[in-house]
Amino acid sequence: MTERTRWNIARVLLTTTYLLGGWLLFTWSFEPGSVLLGLVHAIAIALLTYPIFIEEYEAARRSHLPRVELLGIYLLVLVFNMYVASFRVLWQILRGRINPGVTHFRTRLRTDIARVVLTSSITLTPGTITLQLDDDHLIVHWLDARTRHSKYASKLIAGPYERLLRRIWA
Amino acid sequence: MGIESHDLLLYAIYFFLGTSVLGVIRVLIGPTTADRMNGLNLVGAQILALLVLVAVREGRSNYLDVALVYDIFGFIGILAMARYFTAKVHQ
Amino acid sequence: MTWVALFFLGLGAVFSLMGNIGVLVFPDIYTRLQASSTCSTTSIFSVFVACMILSGFTPITGKILVITLFFFITNPISAHIIARYAWQSEIVPWRRTYEQRRMLGAETDD
Repeated sequence: MTERTRWNIARVLLTTTYLLGGWLLFTWSFEPGSVLLGLVHAIAIALLTYPIFIEEYEAARRSHLPRVELLGIYLLVLVFNMYVASFRVLWQILRGRINPGVTHFRTRLRTDIARVVLTSSITLTPGTITLQLDDDHLIVHWLDARTRHSKYASKLIAGPYERLLRRIWA
Repeated sequence: MGIESHDLLLYAIYFFLGTSVLGVIRVLIGPTTADRMNGLNLVGAQILALLVLVAVREGRSNYLDVALVYDIFGFIGILAMARYFTAKVHQ
Repeated sequence: MTWVALFFLGLGAVFSLMGNIGVLVFPDIYTRLQASSTCSTTSIFSVFVACMILSGFTPITGKILVITLFFFITNPISAHIIARYAWQSEIVPWRRTYEQRRMLGAETDD
């Protein structure tokens, strides 16, 4: 059994676990028939689609085992920042003094899942949306552009999240 | 206690119905396709909130299943629309 | 308990109204997406929190928690998808002119 075959089996098993977890979360019932139906379909879908769900290069253990306690802290920070950002956007809607702009910067996060979470957080929080995510290169639209310097912008927008996310996944 | 949670939820339902009309206006007048998609996303989110409010008011959980499936289908619909129109632009 | 729920419902109502008004008054697609993604997500989240408080410890609360988590994942991603579609179909972002930015006292380095 080569390294590659073992990794393929692990990918199928991981995808099955994720799908079955989603099924149990959504149906919220633990009757044997329901769980069996979910298991059969999870295995079938995992065998068909594991190359899409988990890329071949995502073999680091950390990218599949996040640190759950830090993830909880991250969610709390995200919710707090979301309320702050909403009040800021609300104030800008009322005043109408917006100054939009586009900045580019790079992120230092390595795993795909961490980059996606960073993109979602940027879209949610400080009056910014991600326009494009291209490996480690982000294009971000700012509602209130305070700077056009790339490094300073990344510090302002992604700084607090990057530090936590690097410890969760990478 | 001056307020009944039953009435509170009813007022919230009426309020969200009223605000989702504003989103429908954006869907109707939006100059670009992306604007219409944005309005659709907004209205979909408010309908989701309405479904959850109705479920809590009536105390029945089958509205929540509907809400979950509605959320999933709205997301997949946005994905499909973006993909379809991107393919059309690049032709 | 009802007062806490009322507070969250009020927050949700204010954010929802302002988000919808922002979507109507802002000048281009990217700024409208800002209003819709930030304000609308916060308003819906507040409504879900209020519903969880009102329904207490019942199976309904667990289901609303699942819906909240799922909504938290899907809504920013669909906002990002719409923004990426607009960016790829080469819609130019709206900007203030140089003089307007000078008058706002904003950063003018170009």
